[in-house]
Amino acid sequence: MANTITWARVKSPWVLHFNSGACNGCDIEIVALLTPKYDVERFGVKLEPSPRHADVLLVTGCVTQQCAERLKRVYDQMPQPKFVVAIGACACSGGVFAGNYNVVGGVDKVIPVTAYIPGCPPRPEAILDGVVKLLNALSPPKPKKQPKQVKTPELPKEEAKPEVAKPEAVTQQEVKPIVEEAKPNAKQ
Amino acid sequence: MRRQNQTPNSNIDIINVIETKLKDKVQIQLGQLGKAAIVTSNGLHRDVLKAMVEADEKTAIIAITGLDLGANLGVLYHIRTSNAFLTIRAEVPKDNPKIQTVIDIIPGAVFHELEVSDLLGVVFEGNRLPGHFVLSEYWPEGVYPLRKDVKASEIKLNPPPPEEEKQPEYGKIVKIIIGPQHPALLEPEKFAVTVDGETVTKVEPRIGYVHRGIEKAAESRTYLQDVYLIERICGICNTIHACNFVEGVEKILKTEVPPRAKYLRVIALELNRLHSHLLTLGHAGLEIGYETLFQYFWRDREPIMDLIELTSGNRVYASLMTVGGVRRDLKDTDLPKIKTTLEDLRKKLPFYRQIYRDEPSIKARMQKVGVLKREDALKLCVVGPVARGSGVDIDVRKDEPYEAYGEIPFKEIVYTEGDTWARMNVRMNEVEESINIIEYAIDHLPTGPFRVKAPRVVPAGEAVNRVEAPRGELFCYIKSNGTAFPERVKVRTPTYANIPAFLKTAIGENIADVPPNFVSLDPCFSCTDR
Amino acid sequence: MIDFDLILRILIFPGFTFILLLTLFCDWVERKLEARLQNRVGPMVAGPGGILQPLADFIKLLTKEDIEPRDAKKTVFKFAPLIAFTIMVFAICFLPIDGASVLSTTGFNGDLIVILTFSTIASFLLFLSGWASCNPYGTIGSARVLTQFLGYDIPLFMLALTPAFIAGSLSIFVIASSQTIPYILLAPWAFVLFIIAMQAELEKGPFDVPDAESELVGGLETEYTGAKLAFLHLTRDVQIVFGAALVVELFLGGPYGPVFFGLPAFWYSLWFVLKLLAVVIVAEYITTLFARLRIDQVLSANWRIILPAAILSLMLTVAMVTWVYPLV
Repeated sequence: MANTITWARVKSPWVLHFNSGACNGCDIEIVALLTPKYDVERFGVKLEPSPRHADVLLVTGCVTQQCAERLKRVYDQMPQPKFVVAIGACACSGGVFAGNYNVVGGVDKVIPVTAYIPGCPPRPEAILDGVVKLLNALSPPKPKKQPKQVKTPELPKEEAKPEVAKPEAVTQQEVKPIVEEAKPNAKQ
Repeated sequence: MRRQNQTPNSNIDIINVIETKLKDKVQIQLGQLGKAAIVTSNGLHRDVLKAMVEADEKTAIIAITGLDLGANLGVLYHIRTSNAFLTIRAEVPKDNPKIQTVIDIIPGAVFHELEVSDLLGVVFEGNRLPGHFVLSEYWPEGVYPLRKDVKASEIKLNPPPPEEEKQPEYGKIVKIIIGPQHPALLEPEKFAVTVDGETVTKVEPRIGYVHRGIEKAAESRTYLQDVYLIERICGICNTIHACNFVEGVEKILKTEVPPRAKYLRVIALELNRLHSHLLTLGHAGLEIGYETLFQYFWRDREPIMDLIELTSGNRVYASLMTVGGVRRDLKDTDLPKIKTTLEDLRKKLPFYRQIYRDEPSIKARMQKVGVLKREDALKLCVVGPVARGSGVDIDVRKDEPYEAYGEIPFKEIVYTEGDTWARMNVRMNEVEESINIIEYAIDHLPTGPFRVKAPRVVPAGEAVNRVEAPRGELFCYIKSNGTAFPERVKVRTPTYANIPAFLKTAIGENIADVPPNFVSLDPCFSCTDR
Repeated sequence: MIDFDLILRILIFPGFTFILLLTLFCDWVERKLEARLQNRVGPMVAGPGGILQPLADFIKLLTKEDIEPRDAKKTVFKFAPLIAFTIMVFAICFLPIDGASVLSTTGFNGDLIVILTFSTIASFLLFLSGWASCNPYGTIGSARVLTQFLGYDIPLFMLALTPAFIAGSLSIFVIASSQTIPYILLAPWAFVLFIIAMQAELEKGPFDVPDAESELVGGLETEYTGAKLAFLHLTRDVQIVFGAALVVELFLGGPYGPVFFGLPAFWYSLWFVLKLLAVVIVAEYITTLFARLRIDQVLSANWRIILPAAILSLMLTVAMVTWVYPLV
């Protein structure tokens, strides 16, 4: 039962986008996610209009003082379980504008953040990657697959050994004479 | 409908007019800050403006810059007429910073005066607003951030103000707040729309949600660092902001940019204009519920983003401009790729043009919506496609050509209807013009260096510069004091000049017409607030 | 004696479970079609081809925290979505899906009017739910829902009477089963107008004013979270299935079609689902290909175009049936 609920939450993350004082670069890349080239609806992500409907809050922008209070209010209006993703260098830490007189600097100074996606602005692929990583992190770990993951790194080595062996042998042969040459030099 | 480029009223010599009317009361410095700088005192600046407005109907205020000059505060009025661009200087003492307002002569000066009074403390008699305009509501009274003695780290904020009045009972909805978080707006701004039934009676804006204090921050970074800071005023029109700033610095340095760099700059600027117009045309579809149009436009915008990445290395922030030229060259092997992509886009244009011209649901939602008459457009000093959609033919690329625009032929698109439909069609046709400009620039790209070395320390001086951003005329004023850091950087963005027009056109309309009307002026609030 | 057959029919097939699964499937079809028309792919990850996406949305909404605004009218806020959903499912139970209705009967004379009334009551409950949330966006959104569906109810009733007139009865079963030639061919004008009126009634397509995100944020759903939001969405989707099913029964010959082998009930259900999907696809095409109209344009379209056209269509059908068709 709990697995089904987690499955449903992971497969259907509804997103609310809030701009807390950004230059628009990150926001346009977020809206570009909905377009045919990146198509985030594949993952079940829908852009929702109201905070009450959303699960994930995408925040962009170095938080300006005017927006800090509103950001907190929007976050409070969202129902549990909720996650916050800070997109862009400004949302992570204030970016270029850190230290300015009207800037709080960083979303985590106002609300708790689950994931950080750096970049100025991050490419839509990077935002997608961040969202998918967040969703995967929410899924329960699947122990069955882990041994397989441990095995796969060995497979290329086994296959490539015939190729790799020769260069390794060559370098080792090369190394030895150098080391041996160095020793007489050192003794001198 | 469409009109070819209207020849400006080149008969009026505005300097002559001022000289004859005001004779010895003002001091005219030719060649400074535009065509001339007129030094006046408090009160006389109104007479100068009145003389200009009476002589030339296209007189418009571009910006009002406030300066901290030590004991005085300088107030510079930058004015544009049919064929000239001047500055009126006035000074007020810091202990009594009062100056008379000019909003009765030029209504479009409202926002500019409010900003100067908010950030520098100049009191414009006749134009006061309770509370702050650009600064946050927690900002302490009496502290003016752009004054030299104020440091960002030493400011103590006020506690949050009391909660706004409770919403009236649901029976009578009077005020709808299109608030900071709204699906229609990509950026936070608050518009309190007062409605009577379904008709809008008043729109009260509250800007300042995206105010990041860039002008003050620019004073503590070197000129080269400032290029990257000024670029980040807006993510959509970033190249033009950088170009504007860099041209201003080059004017103070009196550096001549090599021809190849000028053409490369034009290519980058027009690519920026292309992607910005395609963005707006798609976004308009989203506002009227036409999601399919939005998806198609943004799908066709992606190849342009790939081109921007090809020419500069980054998808959004091209960072191509630098003082003395461009940062990197364009390879000859890349030019055919640019041409093929633009050719593909050009083939799709007839389809899109037909949609914006003839599609019944677009015509039903956009025609006769948000009508801005020509007289209002002139009085409110609107710029860009908003002005060109109302019959006012101003385009900095034609009026005062910069970079290589003087050598490249292109058409200026003007429509006379003044409604949302006209403004979107102006942008639609400008897409084709941009493609023409880029292809001409590629065909006539001169050889040679793409950059000259510019000194890091800029000699003392002032410069003003205007360029044509996708949203309209972009202006900057730079003052240097001989160190590696600028003394004052002032940027006036096109959306800042266009918002008063929106406040006027929304009145009397249906509340459902507010989003398309709003999108048609192509708002960019990060530009507005800086 | 407990009639297990009847209970199975009500709960599983063709009753509650079948209707629920059909609704979720139609939602998936709509989303995929909209995506493909927009040059995209649509849901892909939840289940093969994204077919479990509506189910994932539903389960996720059921498990969210339930927030009730302080000023909301508690009882209406809590129960209106659920009651609206129940009424809509009940209305579908009157339609013959596998040859007979869910209650194993052939209906009664006048049940066409009854289910149209149920649909109106469900829409009215949606209006009440928006009004009870005491949010300015909810209030305006629900007021628009009310104006729109009340206005379009009149031509809808009139156009629904057209097949009733041709069949000579107000019983859905009789109308569906007496379509040797589907009424779409006998009265195509009524079919076209009925589709348009249905789009407006269901708040789809160019008439989805209450859903206008750019003006109204979330419309009447703005304050709803969790399970109540799930039922609001489900009510909307069930209304779409109901509308499409009504078109199938009245104009496309209901579930009746060629039976090849085995149980006629299986074939009737299959034809019903196929015809339903065809209508849903047509409705989604109309939605995707047009922009959204303003509320005053929607209402003026009703009073100036659709209503007179409905009256004319009824008169034309009377004339055709009385004088022309007996000759053919």
